[in-house]
Amino acid sequence: MLPRDKEPDLPPDPVIEAYKKDIDRTLLKETLKQTPAQRFANLQKFMRSVAGLRGAARRRA
Amino acid sequence: MSDFTDFARFMSALTDHRVDFIIVGGVAGSLHGAARATYDLDIVYARDPTNLARLVAALDRLQPYLRGAPKGLPFRWDVETLARGLNFTLTTTAGNIDLIGEIAGGGRYEDLLQHTIEVEASGVRCRCVKLRSLIALKRAAGRPRDFDAIAELEVLLEEQERMESA
Repeated sequence: MLPRDKEPDLPPDPVIEAYKKDIDRTLLKETLKQTPAQRFANLQKFMRSVAGLRGAARRRA
Repeated sequence: MSDFTDFARFMSALTDHRVDFIIVGGVAGSLHGAARATYDLDIVYARDPTNLARLVAALDRLQPYLRGAPKGLPFRWDVETLARGLNFTLTTTAGNIDLIGEIAGGGRYEDLLQHTIEVEASGVRCRCVKLRSLIALKRAAGRPRDFDAIAELEVLLEEQERMESA
């Protein structure tokens, strides 16, 4: 359970540390410059385009 | 039922009906700045009778049905069904939504509430689990398929803290 009245501790996990090497920090630094509303709008837009591509691929098959 | 999960439509429906809910999962990660795509909306909802009625009303027009269940299975979207269950994975005309009555590592809505922030997205204000708590929840779930997502969220937290201390 999450602790009451304080933020949870996140001790380093060696497995997760290994995965971190492949994360694109530059991209995340850019998203951090945006507001949550902008990030949400981008997610919505991206998912709409993914759905469009999926539909196109299905029609072509 | 839908290829595209319309997160904005879900959030408008939920806030219009004054549902008490907290965004967790991939959309919460995106609101904090994660770049990973996500295909459904995960929410932890309050289980009191008033909120169950609001939740039923909010999603009713979207024709919720159990995701992955065979067609024709008797499923009634009503307060009684919600009260008898706890966690529901649903498909709707607006896409997929997971309703979580109790989340691994975070408990129920009331337990999680102190670990949330209010955010504005798509013109509505709603509660989203804090980044550090989101990481703790994903760690608690212990799913190997989340390792990559947890790593991204932890890097995001590091960068966020670096920016705040600069």
